[in-house]
Formats: sequence, structure tokens, C-alpha cells
Amino acid sequence: MSWEPEADEIKRRRALALEQGGADAVAKQHEKGRLTIRERVEGLLDPGTLDEVGVGAGASERGEDGELKSFSPANFVLGFGKIDGRRVIVGGEDFTMKGGSPSDAGLRKSVYTEQLAIQYRLPLIRLHEGAGGSVGGSGSGRPSLPAPVFATARFKSVAQVMATVPVATAAMGAVAGLPAGRLVASHFSVMSKSTAQVLTAGPAVVERAMGEKKTKEELGGAAVHTKNGTVDNASEDEPDALAQIRRFLSYLPDHVWELPPIGPQDDPVDRQEEALIDIVPRERRRAFDMRRALKLILDQDSFFEMGKGYGRSQITGLARLNGQAVGVWANDGKFLAGSMTADGAQKARRFMEMCQTFHLPIVSFVDEPGFMIGSKAEQEATIRHGANAVLTAALTTVPWASVMVRRSFGVAQAAHYGPEGYVLAWPSAESGPLPVEGGVAVAFHREIAAAEDPDAKRKELEEMLAKRQSPFPRAEAFSVHELIDPRETRPMLCRWVDRIQPLLPPLVGPSAFSVRP
Amino acid sequence: MATKIELETGGSVWKVLVKQGDQVEEGQTLFIMEVMKMEVPYDAPAAGTVTALNVSEGDVLEEDFVAAEID
Repeated sequence: MSWEPEADEIKRRRALALEQGGADAVAKQHEKGRLTIRERVEGLLDPGTLDEVGVGAGASERGEDGELKSFSPANFVLGFGKIDGRRVIVGGEDFTMKGGSPSDAGLRKSVYTEQLAIQYRLPLIRLHEGAGGSVGGSGSGRPSLPAPVFATARFKSVAQVMATVPVATAAMGAVAGLPAGRLVASHFSVMSKSTAQVLTAGPAVVERAMGEKKTKEELGGAAVHTKNGTVDNASEDEPDALAQIRRFLSYLPDHVWELPPIGPQDDPVDRQEEALIDIVPRERRRAFDMRRALKLILDQDSFFEMGKGYGRSQITGLARLNGQAVGVWANDGKFLAGSMTADGAQKARRFMEMCQTFHLPIVSFVDEPGFMIGSKAEQEATIRHGANAVLTAALTTVPWASVMVRRSFGVAQAAHYGPEGYVLAWPSAESGPLPVEGGVAVAFHREIAAAEDPDAKRKELEEMLAKRQSPFPRAEAFSVHELIDPRETRPMLCRWVDRIQPLLPPLVGPSAFSVRP
Repeated sequence: MATKIELETGGSVWKVLVKQGDQVEEGQTLFIMEVMKMEVPYDAPAAGTVTALNVSEGDVLEEDFVAAEID
């Protein structure tokens, strides 16, 4: 007798696994405007490339005659697949079963995800929707046996994977507890504005413990978490979240033993944009649009901003210069004058760590007036977080190019220059221990107080000192590599990119420090 | 549909350059805030009529304040 009956059952079980929580549960998921995990995975990967792992994991019931009565698959889908032809690992909770709260087999597959990514050295994508453990147990009806005391620490691989391969995550529905913890343990996270909330604990638990009555959206909607930095980006909907993950991964290597792939080289390296000559107003107090400057300088449409909603005085994102993937960091003078706030410093620190981990050269466009000041800033521990960013920059080993676009002041400006970095200055560059507007009032307080018209005296002193901010002594003293016409920025940076190519291969391997969430 | 112009940060209103009822071009500066000694212009995101203008010079305002509406 052959093994045909078992082969048939394998086929049946596989078919049942594809049904997920059943037609009703899937319809309910769709009614809420959300996709199922299988639809998400399909939307993420190149068509037909899902190569699943553990399809047969789950729980079954047999009749008295040994016939298969039912099979419920593990509520976590895991597999290999391809994005733009490059292999990745993808995993995610299946909300149509137990609301994504892990079943026995679901939990096993879920914790295996990181190990698989580390072992095969492949980028990891987790698509989250669901809660963590439940006091009701795993739903198997049996009390589950607690893990042995000698089991490997659950979060060791979650930490290791971040030092090994790019990790991108998405919140697609309500994500709470363990999945929320794993959502933020990533280099890039995105949440769907229309369907997702991220919650340390949901409304029922919060009301019971804290007496606070809030909806899921109020507690942890995109408006909350893109502003506090829990999640990097918001997306309009689920397909947009998947598109952002594909885009993010396009700049990164598969793992730390590789360099980032070179992208298209179809934007002329000698392109000089006229608009750059007057993009920085001569009126020193007038803010300008830094994002527009970035757009004019970087490879066309290559800037992918991350963390736009928080730490907004600092702009961070990935981009290309003649196809070379680079990390871009700039100040936004329109937001709190571009100053280094506590959250801006944390955002920049985490960004530098990611660039360091994946050998992305950093290009910084500096318009830094210094650390944010005032009582709110003191309460937020700005100097601690700011110093952390400054020291992080000092420890990086990736190549840096810094363009002094405008202001470069105080201790905070040091964070914008890496060791042995290439430094270019625009004629609008100003630097010093602190901007003249603040410094004059302190350094000349006696003279100002003694003047007949103190306000006029202060302005006169400010004007005088501002005039001394001529860019030419900086070039004469060789305190920058070159003083340049702003229109030359792209050609100069593209030449630098060419020059640093031999410096990149020796960087491969694990970094001395890596990203912490 | 009216477009709301909300303040990105708190600060004081330095100059107001339009009046309610004015026709504005896309990119035209509506008013200028002073934030941390920097002038931050707020430009019209699209052409239209200024249907509401809730700022006056010298006002000290909070983040997210609806400063103007354009229709």
C-alpha cells in the first residue's frame, strides 16, 4: 500500500491553511477595510514569489476513526519571498484567527522569524496586526506548558536581527503587547492611518488599570505615534504602507556583510540648479525650504523621508547621489528654527546608527542654530539626548560629507560633522559658539545696558558681528574643504561619492554599535 | 473645499500680508511668524480666496492653531 492517503491529507491541510480563519472571519476583516495577512504578503512581494515555511503547523482534531475533522493553521504566516527580485523573509499575525493573539504554533512560527532572517542573512519584514498573549492561554484548551528555564531569551534574536539585516515593520490594524514591541524593534516602521493603532495596552486594560476612558485611536492612532516617534511614517492605507517598505529596502543591503546596492545612474552628476543661488534668503532671519534644496541636489525623486512627523527640526531620510545610497540629514529652519530638540536628537541618533549599521555614507545639510533652549527643553533632557547625538556622530566610521548651508552653532552643530568628513560651505554659512542674536545680549550686556537706546545698541552690535560672518576667512583658513557656489553642490557631492568608493568595502561586517529602538 | 492653514509651531505673528476676502496665488506668502528669532513664512498651498484669517500682528499662538482658510 502506498502513502497516498497521507499525501491526500497533506494536500487537504494545505488547502485548509489557505482558508485562514474561514470565509466569515475573512469577510469580517474586509468589512473593517482591512486586508488579510495573506493578501498583505501578496501585496508586498513580487507576484508568485511567496515560498512559505511551516504551512502544516497548527492544530487538528480527528474523529474516532482517525479521519481529519478539522485543521486550524498557526495564526502566523511566515515565508521567503522576493521584493524587486531580492530575497527577503516576511511574517505576520493572522487576525482572522484569535484576533492575532498567538496560538501555540503561531507563537513558534512568530519567534522563529528573526532566527530565520539571521540564519539566511535576509532583510526581514513583519506585518503586524494583533495582540500579545491572553490570560485565556493559547486557545488550545490545554494549559500550556511554560517554556523551560534554560530556553534562549525570547528577545535576543529580536535584538540580534537588528544588528544583522534590515528590519522593516508595518502596523496594519490594532497592534498591542508583544507585536507592538516587535513593531518598534525595527529600522523602519510604518502605520496605516486608516486602519492601524499601536497600543502598549488596549482600552479595556487601560480603563481597568488607570480609570482612563479612551478609544483605540485616541490612545494609539497615527496622530499620536507619528508625532512621538514610536512609528517612523504614516501611510494612507495598507497598500501605501507596503509600498513604503519596498522603497525603504531598495536603499539597503541584504545584510551587514554587504554594501548597499547601487541604484540607477540616470541623473547627470553635473546638473546645477539655478534655484539654489537664492534659495537661502540674504535676510538672516528668514527661514527657507530645506526640503526643496534637497530635491534640487539629490538624484531626482530619490529622497525617501523617514520620521517626518516628529523631531521635526531635523529632517532624516534615504536618498541617492549618482546611484549611491546615502543617509541624508538636514535641519528644517522652519520648525523651531531647526534647533536640536530632545526628540530631534533622538531621531538623528537613531538614524546615524542605522546608516552606520548598513554602511550608508551620511550627507548632512547643516543649518543648526544649537540646542533648543528654555524650560521645556530643560525638562525634556535636551542636553543629554543632544550630547548622545554628538557622540554618536563622533563614533561613526562611515564617510560623511557636510554642507554648511547656513548656521552651524554651538555644541549641537558638532553632531552634523563626522570624523574626517568632507566639508563644503555655501556663502550663506555662519558659524560660532552661538548665533549673534543670542550671543550679543550676553557678551555685551554691560555695553547694551549703558547705552542710551539699549535696543538700538544691541541691533548695532548684532549687525556688526553678523558682517564679520563673511565666508571667505573660513576658506582662507582652510577650515572647510571648499567654499562653493550653492549650484555646484550636486557635482561636488557626486565627485565625493566617487572618491569614497574604495573606503566602503572595508566597512562591511557588524558595526561596533548598532541601532537601539 | 476650504484649505486650512495650521501653525506648525507656536510663536508670534510678525507680519500679516493679506486680508480676508483677498484673492491669492499659489505660493503667495499670507503671513510671517516669528519662531525662535526666525521668520517663518506661511504660503498659500493653492490659489483661491482667503475666507478666514484668524491672525493679527503680535498674536502669540500655539501649534496647530488654524491661522487662515483658503477656498
